[in-house]
Amino acid sequence: MATTISNTDSRTIRNVRVKANFERTAFMFMRSSGIILVILAVGHVMLQLIFNNVHYLSVEFVAEQWSSWGWKVYDMALLVFALTHGINGFRNVLEDYIHNRGAMKVINILLVIFLVVSIVWAGYAIASADPAAMDAAALGQ
Amino acid sequence: MQVNIKIRRYNPEKQAKAWWGEYTLQDCSRTDSVLDVLHRVKWEIDGTLALRRSCAHGVCGSDAMRINGANSLACKMLISRLGKEGADSINIQVEPILGLPVLKDLIVDMEPFMEHYRSVLPYFINDEPAPADGRERLQSQADREKFDDTTKCILCAACTTSCPSYWANGKYVGPAAIVNAHRFIFDSRDEAAESRLNVVGDTFGVWRCRTIFNCTNACPREIEVTKAIAEVKVALATGKV
Repeated sequence: MATTISNTDSRTIRNVRVKANFERTAFMFMRSSGIILVILAVGHVMLQLIFNNVHYLSVEFVAEQWSSWGWKVYDMALLVFALTHGINGFRNVLEDYIHNRGAMKVINILLVIFLVVSIVWAGYAIASADPAAMDAAALGQ
Repeated sequence: MQVNIKIRRYNPEKQAKAWWGEYTLQDCSRTDSVLDVLHRVKWEIDGTLALRRSCAHGVCGSDAMRINGANSLACKMLISRLGKEGADSINIQVEPILGLPVLKDLIVDMEPFMEHYRSVLPYFINDEPAPADGRERLQSQADREKFDDTTKCILCAACTTSCPSYWANGKYVGPAAIVNAHRFIFDSRDEAAESRLNVVGDTFGVWRCRTIFNCTNACPREIEVTKAIAEVKVALATGKV
Protein backbone atom coordinates (compact mmCIF):
# COMPACT_ATOMS: atom_id res chain seq x y z
CA MET A 1 0.00 0.00 0.00
CA ALA A 2 1.37 3.38 -0.95
CA THR A 3 2.16 5.95 1.74
CA THR A 4 0.05 9.08 1.57
CA ILE A 5 0.75 12.55 2.85
CA SER A 6 -2.15 13.49 5.08
CA ASN A 7 -1.43 17.23 5.30
CA THR A 8 -1.15 18.62 1.79
CA ASP A 9 -0.46 22.12 3.15
CA SER A 10 2.57 21.14 5.21
CA ARG A 11 5.59 23.08 4.05
CA THR A 12 9.05 21.70 4.72
CA ILE A 13 11.70 24.22 5.74
CA ARG A 14 15.23 22.88 5.71
CA ASN A 15 18.36 24.52 7.07
CA VAL A 16 21.35 24.58 4.76
CA ARG A 17 24.92 25.61 5.41
CA VAL A 18 25.83 28.41 3.06
CA LYS A 19 29.45 29.40 2.53
CA ALA A 20 30.08 33.04 3.38
CA ASN A 21 31.82 35.09 0.72
CA PHE A 22 32.43 38.76 0.05
CA GLU A 23 29.66 39.12 -2.55
CA ARG A 24 27.07 37.65 -0.18
CA THR A 25 28.18 40.00 2.61
CA ALA A 26 28.17 42.94 0.19
CA PHE A 27 24.66 42.02 -0.98
CA MET A 28 23.37 41.84 2.61
CA PHE A 29 25.07 45.16 3.40
CA MET A 30 23.49 46.84 0.36
CA ARG A 31 20.00 45.68 1.42
CA SER A 32 20.34 46.65 5.07
CA SER A 33 22.17 49.93 4.40
CA GLY A 34 19.52 50.75 1.78
CA ILE A 35 16.79 50.52 4.41
CA ILE A 36 18.86 52.51 6.92
CA LEU A 37 19.59 55.17 4.28
CA VAL A 38 15.91 55.58 3.42
CA ILE A 39 15.24 56.40 7.07
CA LEU A 40 18.32 58.63 7.48
CA ALA A 41 18.00 60.44 4.14
CA VAL A 42 14.23 60.99 4.39
CA GLY A 43 14.72 62.20 7.97
CA HIS A 44 17.45 64.56 6.77
CA VAL A 45 15.31 65.96 3.96
CA MET A 46 12.28 66.38 6.23
CA LEU A 47 14.35 68.19 8.82
CA GLN A 48 16.22 70.48 6.41
CA LEU A 49 13.45 71.32 3.97
CA ILE A 50 10.12 70.76 5.67
CA PHE A 51 10.39 71.20 9.46
CA ASN A 52 12.99 73.92 8.96
CA ASN A 53 12.00 76.43 6.29
CA VAL A 54 14.48 76.16 3.43
CA HIS A 55 14.93 79.96 3.48
CA TYR A 56 16.43 79.71 6.97
CA LEU A 57 18.81 76.91 6.07
CA SER A 58 22.11 78.50 6.99
CA VAL A 59 25.47 77.88 8.65
CA GLU A 60 23.88 79.05 11.92
CA PHE A 61 21.28 76.30 11.61
CA VAL A 62 23.96 73.66 11.03
CA ALA A 63 26.04 75.09 13.90
CA GLU A 64 23.02 74.82 16.20
CA GLN A 65 22.40 71.26 15.04
CA TRP A 66 26.03 70.21 15.52
CA SER A 67 26.09 71.58 19.02
CA SER A 68 24.40 68.28 19.87
CA TRP A 69 26.38 65.03 19.63
CA GLY A 70 23.17 63.22 18.67
CA TRP A 71 22.95 65.14 15.38
CA LYS A 72 26.68 64.73 14.80
CA VAL A 73 26.29 60.97 15.08
CA TYR A 74 23.22 61.12 12.81
CA ASP A 75 25.16 62.98 10.10
CA MET A 76 28.19 60.71 10.48
CA ALA A 77 25.96 57.65 10.08
CA LEU A 78 24.51 59.22 6.93
CA LEU A 79 28.04 59.86 5.68
CA VAL A 80 29.30 56.31 6.37
CA PHE A 81 26.29 54.46 4.97
CA ALA A 82 25.80 56.69 1.91
CA LEU A 83 29.48 56.57 0.90
CA THR A 84 29.91 52.84 1.49
CA HIS A 85 26.62 52.02 -0.26
CA GLY A 86 27.46 54.28 -3.20
CA ILE A 87 31.05 53.07 -3.61
CA ASN A 88 29.98 49.42 -3.49
CA GLY A 89 27.32 50.12 -6.13
CA PHE A 90 29.95 51.83 -8.26
CA ARG A 91 32.23 48.79 -7.83
CA ASN A 92 29.41 46.55 -9.08
CA VAL A 93 28.92 48.70 -12.17
CA LEU A 94 32.66 48.74 -12.90
CA GLU A 95 32.92 44.96 -12.51
CA ASP A 96 30.29 44.56 -15.22
CA TYR A 97 32.55 46.31 -17.71
CA ILE A 98 36.13 45.72 -16.55
CA HIS A 99 37.02 42.05 -16.92
CA ASN A 100 40.76 42.34 -16.40
CA ARG A 101 41.32 40.98 -12.89
CA GLY A 102 44.53 42.97 -12.33
CA ALA A 103 42.90 46.25 -13.35
CA MET A 104 39.88 45.53 -11.17
CA LYS A 105 42.13 44.78 -8.20
CA VAL A 106 43.88 48.14 -8.58
CA ILE A 107 40.50 49.91 -8.94
CA ASN A 108 39.16 48.16 -5.83
CA ILE A 109 42.19 49.27 -3.81
CA LEU A 110 41.73 52.86 -5.04
CA LEU A 111 38.01 52.74 -4.15
CA VAL A 112 38.79 51.50 -0.63
CA ILE A 113 41.40 54.26 -0.17
CA PHE A 114 38.91 56.87 -1.44
CA LEU A 115 36.21 55.50 0.86
CA VAL A 116 38.38 55.42 3.98
CA VAL A 117 39.94 58.85 3.36
CA SER A 118 36.54 60.43 2.65
CA ILE A 119 34.95 58.96 5.76
CA VAL A 120 37.86 59.86 8.04
CA TRP A 121 38.19 63.37 6.58
CA ALA A 122 34.48 64.24 6.61
CA GLY A 123 33.93 62.38 9.89
CA TYR A 124 36.71 64.41 11.51
CA ALA A 125 35.18 67.62 10.13
CA ILE A 126 31.80 66.79 11.68
CA ALA A 127 33.23 65.54 14.97
CA SER A 128 35.52 68.52 15.46
CA ALA A 129 33.01 71.16 14.30
CA ASP A 130 32.91 74.05 16.75
CA PRO A 131 29.44 75.65 16.68
CA ALA A 132 30.73 78.92 18.18
CA ALA A 133 33.43 79.25 15.53
CA MET A 134 30.90 78.42 12.80
CA ASP A 135 28.56 81.11 14.05
CA ALA A 136 31.41 83.62 14.19
CA ALA A 137 32.50 82.70 10.66
CA ALA A 138 28.92 83.09 9.43
CA LEU A 139 28.81 86.58 10.91
CA GLY A 140 32.14 87.44 9.29
CA GLN A 141 33.98 87.88 12.61
CA MET B 1 -0.38 41.23 -46.09
CA GLN B 2 3.17 42.25 -46.94
CA VAL B 3 6.05 41.51 -44.59
CA ASN B 4 9.37 43.33 -44.86
CA ILE B 5 11.89 41.33 -42.89
CA LYS B 6 15.48 42.27 -42.06
CA ILE B 7 17.60 39.33 -40.96
CA ARG B 8 21.07 39.55 -39.44
CA ARG B 9 23.14 37.28 -41.68
CA TYR B 10 26.61 35.89 -40.97
CA ASN B 11 28.64 33.27 -42.75
CA PRO B 12 32.28 33.21 -41.61
CA GLU B 13 33.22 30.96 -44.55
CA LYS B 14 32.29 33.72 -47.00
CA GLN B 15 32.47 37.03 -45.19
CA ALA B 16 34.06 37.99 -41.90
CA LYS B 17 31.47 40.67 -41.12
CA ALA B 18 27.79 40.19 -40.40
CA TRP B 19 25.32 41.94 -42.71
CA TRP B 20 21.61 42.64 -42.97
CA GLY B 21 19.58 40.61 -45.46
CA GLU B 22 16.35 42.36 -46.45
CA TYR B 23 13.44 40.37 -47.88
CA THR B 24 9.88 41.16 -48.86
CA LEU B 25 7.12 38.58 -48.72
CA GLN B 26 3.59 38.90 -50.08
CA ASP B 27 0.38 37.13 -49.05
CA CYS B 28 1.37 36.58 -45.45
CA SER B 29 -1.45 35.87 -43.01
CA ARG B 30 -1.92 37.67 -39.70
CA THR B 31 -1.86 34.28 -38.02
CA ASP B 32 1.61 33.46 -39.39
CA SER B 33 4.40 33.27 -36.86
CA VAL B 34 7.86 34.76 -37.36
CA LEU B 35 9.07 31.19 -37.87
CA ASP B 36 6.59 30.79 -40.76
CA VAL B 37 8.02 33.94 -42.33
CA LEU B 38 11.62 32.73 -41.84
CA HIS B 39 10.64 29.41 -43.44
CA ARG B 40 9.28 31.24 -46.46
CA VAL B 41 12.51 33.25 -46.76
CA LYS B 42 14.56 30.05 -46.56
CA TRP B 43 12.35 27.95 -48.82
CA GLU B 44 11.31 30.57 -51.40
CA ILE B 45 14.08 33.20 -51.52
CA ASP B 46 17.41 32.18 -50.00
CA GLY B 47 18.07 28.56 -49.07
CA THR B 48 21.37 29.46 -47.41
CA LEU B 49 19.59 31.06 -44.42
CA ALA B 50 20.51 29.05 -41.32
CA LEU B 51 18.27 28.79 -38.26
CA ARG B 52 17.41 26.26 -35.58
CA ARG B 53 13.85 25.03 -35.12
CA SER B 54 12.19 21.79 -34.24
CA CYS B 55 8.69 21.45 -32.81
CA ALA B 56 7.47 24.90 -33.95
CA HIS B 57 5.00 24.94 -31.06
CA GLY B 58 6.91 26.64 -28.24
CA VAL B 59 7.93 23.43 -26.52
CA CYS B 60 11.42 22.50 -27.72
CA GLY B 61 12.98 25.94 -27.25
CA SER B 62 15.17 25.74 -30.38
CA ASP B 63 14.21 28.98 -32.08
CA ALA B 64 14.87 31.70 -29.51
CA MET B 65 15.93 34.85 -31.33
CA ARG B 66 15.89 38.61 -30.99
CA ILE B 67 12.78 39.84 -32.78
CA ASN B 68 12.32 43.61 -33.10
CA GLY B 69 14.82 44.07 -30.28
CA ALA B 70 13.34 41.62 -27.75
CA ASN B 71 14.00 37.93 -27.21
CA SER B 72 11.24 35.45 -27.93
CA LEU B 73 10.60 32.18 -29.70
CA ALA B 74 10.06 32.69 -33.43
CA CYS B 75 7.36 30.00 -33.44
CA LYS B 76 5.33 31.67 -30.67
CA MET B 77 5.59 35.25 -31.95
CA LEU B 78 2.75 36.01 -34.38
CA ILE B 79 3.59 38.65 -36.96
CA SER B 80 0.32 40.44 -36.16
CA ARG B 81 1.81 41.32 -32.76
CA LEU B 82 4.69 43.15 -34.44
CA GLY B 83 2.65 45.60 -36.52
CA LYS B 84 -0.12 48.10 -36.02
CA GLU B 85 -3.70 46.84 -35.91
CA GLY B 86 -5.11 46.63 -39.46
CA ALA B 87 -1.78 47.49 -41.12
CA ASP B 88 -1.22 46.18 -44.66
CA SER B 89 2.50 45.69 -44.16
CA ILE B 90 4.66 44.75 -41.21
CA ASN B 91 8.35 45.41 -40.66
CA ILE B 92 10.24 42.76 -38.75
CA GLN B 93 13.88 42.67 -37.67
CA VAL B 94 15.40 39.35 -36.62
CA GLU B 95 18.83 38.83 -35.05
CA PRO B 96 20.53 35.95 -33.26
CA ILE B 97 20.27 36.03 -29.45
CA LEU B 98 22.98 38.20 -27.87
CA GLY B 99 25.84 37.16 -25.63
CA LEU B 100 26.64 33.83 -27.31
CA PRO B 101 29.05 33.36 -30.24
CA VAL B 102 27.23 33.35 -33.60
CA LEU B 103 28.08 30.30 -35.74
CA LYS B 104 26.01 31.16 -38.81
CA ASP B 105 23.07 33.52 -39.39
CA LEU B 106 20.62 32.91 -36.54
CA ILE B 107 22.47 29.93 -35.07
CA VAL B 108 24.54 30.56 -31.94
CA ASP B 109 26.95 28.32 -30.05
CA MET B 110 24.89 27.18 -27.03
CA GLU B 111 27.87 25.55 -25.29
CA PRO B 112 28.71 28.47 -22.90
CA PHE B 113 25.02 28.50 -21.89
CA MET B 114 24.96 24.71 -21.37
CA GLU B 115 28.21 24.87 -19.38
CA HIS B 116 26.54 27.22 -16.88
CA TYR B 117 23.47 24.97 -16.86
CA ARG B 118 25.55 21.88 -16.05
CA SER B 119 27.42 23.74 -13.28
CA VAL B 120 24.28 23.91 -11.07
CA LEU B 121 23.82 20.10 -11.04
CA PRO B 122 20.42 20.22 -12.75
CA TYR B 123 19.28 16.73 -11.79
CA PHE B 124 17.71 15.02 -8.79
CA ILE B 125 20.22 14.00 -6.10
CA ASN B 126 19.20 11.79 -3.19
CA ASP B 127 21.39 8.88 -2.13
CA GLU B 128 19.02 7.74 0.62
CA PRO B 129 17.28 4.42 -0.05
CA ALA B 130 13.81 4.67 -1.55
CA PRO B 131 10.85 4.57 0.91
CA ALA B 132 9.74 1.20 2.32
CA ASP B 133 7.02 0.73 -0.27
CA GLY B 134 9.77 1.13 -2.85
CA ARG B 135 7.72 3.35 -5.12
CA GLU B 136 8.18 7.08 -4.78
CA ARG B 137 9.37 9.85 -2.49
CA LEU B 138 6.22 11.79 -1.64
CA GLN B 139 5.92 15.46 -0.84
CA SER B 140 3.02 17.71 0.09
CA GLN B 141 1.27 19.90 -2.47
CA ALA B 142 2.66 22.96 -0.68
CA ASP B 143 6.21 21.62 -1.03
CA ARG B 144 5.65 20.87 -4.72
CA GLU B 145 4.21 24.31 -5.30
CA LYS B 146 7.45 26.00 -4.14
CA PHE B 147 9.30 25.05 -7.33
CA ASP B 148 6.36 24.52 -9.68
CA ASP B 149 7.10 27.60 -11.78
CA THR B 150 10.73 26.71 -12.43
CA THR B 151 9.91 23.20 -13.71
CA LYS B 152 8.60 24.85 -16.88
CA CYS B 153 12.02 25.89 -18.27
CA ILE B 154 12.73 24.61 -21.81
CA LEU B 155 16.35 25.86 -21.97
CA CYS B 156 15.72 28.15 -24.93
CA ALA B 157 18.23 30.70 -23.49
CA ALA B 158 15.86 33.63 -24.16
CA CYS B 159 16.24 34.77 -20.54
CA THR B 160 20.00 34.46 -20.19
CA THR B 161 20.68 36.17 -23.53
CA SER B 162 18.33 39.05 -22.72
CA CYS B 163 20.20 39.79 -19.49
CA PRO B 164 22.49 42.87 -19.60
CA SER B 165 24.56 41.42 -16.74
CA TYR B 166 25.21 38.33 -18.90
CA TRP B 167 26.05 40.50 -21.92
CA ALA B 168 28.51 42.39 -19.73
CA ASN B 169 30.18 39.28 -18.37
CA GLY B 170 29.70 35.78 -19.75
CA LYS B 171 31.06 34.26 -16.53
CA TYR B 172 27.74 35.09 -14.82
CA VAL B 173 25.83 31.78 -14.58
CA GLY B 174 22.76 33.54 -15.93
CA PRO B 175 19.01 33.38 -15.25
CA ALA B 176 18.37 30.00 -16.88
CA ALA B 177 20.99 28.19 -14.78
CA ILE B 178 19.61 29.83 -11.62
CA VAL B 179 16.06 28.86 -12.57
CA ASN B 180 17.17 25.25 -12.98
CA ALA B 181 19.10 25.38 -9.69
CA HIS B 182 15.93 26.78 -8.04
CA ARG B 183 13.93 23.83 -9.36
CA PHE B 184 16.05 21.42 -7.29
CA ILE B 185 17.13 23.65 -4.37
CA PHE B 186 13.51 24.02 -3.25
CA ASP B 187 12.56 20.38 -3.90
CA SER B 188 12.07 18.88 -0.41
CA ARG B 189 13.07 15.43 -1.76
CA ASP B 190 16.44 16.58 -3.06
CA GLU B 191 19.57 16.53 -0.88
CA ALA B 192 22.07 18.66 -2.81
CA ALA B 193 20.69 22.15 -2.12
CA GLU B 194 23.96 23.13 -0.40
CA SER B 195 26.11 22.18 -3.39
CA ARG B 196 23.88 24.14 -5.76
CA LEU B 197 23.71 27.15 -3.44
CA ASN B 198 27.50 27.20 -3.31
CA VAL B 199 27.57 27.44 -7.12
CA VAL B 200 24.90 30.11 -7.48
CA GLY B 201 26.14 31.95 -4.38
CA ASP B 202 29.60 32.37 -5.84
CA THR B 203 30.99 35.67 -7.17
CA PHE B 204 29.48 35.05 -10.61
CA GLY B 205 26.20 33.71 -9.27
CA VAL B 206 22.96 35.40 -8.24
CA TRP B 207 24.73 38.53 -6.95
CA ARG B 208 25.25 39.59 -10.58
CA CYS B 209 21.48 39.89 -11.02
CA ARG B 210 20.47 43.57 -11.00
CA THR B 211 16.70 42.82 -11.09
CA ILE B 212 16.34 44.32 -14.55
CA PHE B 213 13.43 41.93 -15.34
CA ASN B 214 14.44 41.41 -19.01
CA CYS B 215 14.55 37.67 -18.27
CA THR B 216 10.99 37.62 -16.94
CA ASN B 217 9.77 39.56 -19.97
CA ALA B 218 11.64 37.29 -22.39
CA CYS B 219 10.60 33.92 -20.99
CA PRO B 220 8.26 32.21 -23.48
CA ARG B 221 6.98 29.95 -20.69
CA GLU B 222 6.12 32.94 -18.52
CA ILE B 223 8.33 31.77 -15.67
CA GLU B 224 8.81 34.50 -13.06
CA VAL B 225 12.57 34.32 -13.48
CA THR B 226 13.54 37.40 -11.46
CA LYS B 227 11.33 36.20 -8.60
CA ALA B 228 13.04 32.79 -8.67
CA ILE B 229 16.46 34.47 -8.56
CA ALA B 230 15.27 36.60 -5.60
CA GLU B 231 14.12 33.45 -3.78
CA VAL B 232 17.57 31.91 -4.26
CA LYS B 233 19.14 35.13 -2.89
CA VAL B 234 16.88 34.89 0.18
CA ALA B 235 17.87 31.22 0.64
CA LEU B 236 21.54 32.24 0.50
CA ALA B 237 20.97 35.09 2.96
CA THR B 238 18.92 33.08 5.49
CA GLY B 239 20.29 29.55 5.02
CA LYS B 240 16.74 28.20 4.77
CA VAL B 241 15.13 26.48 1.79
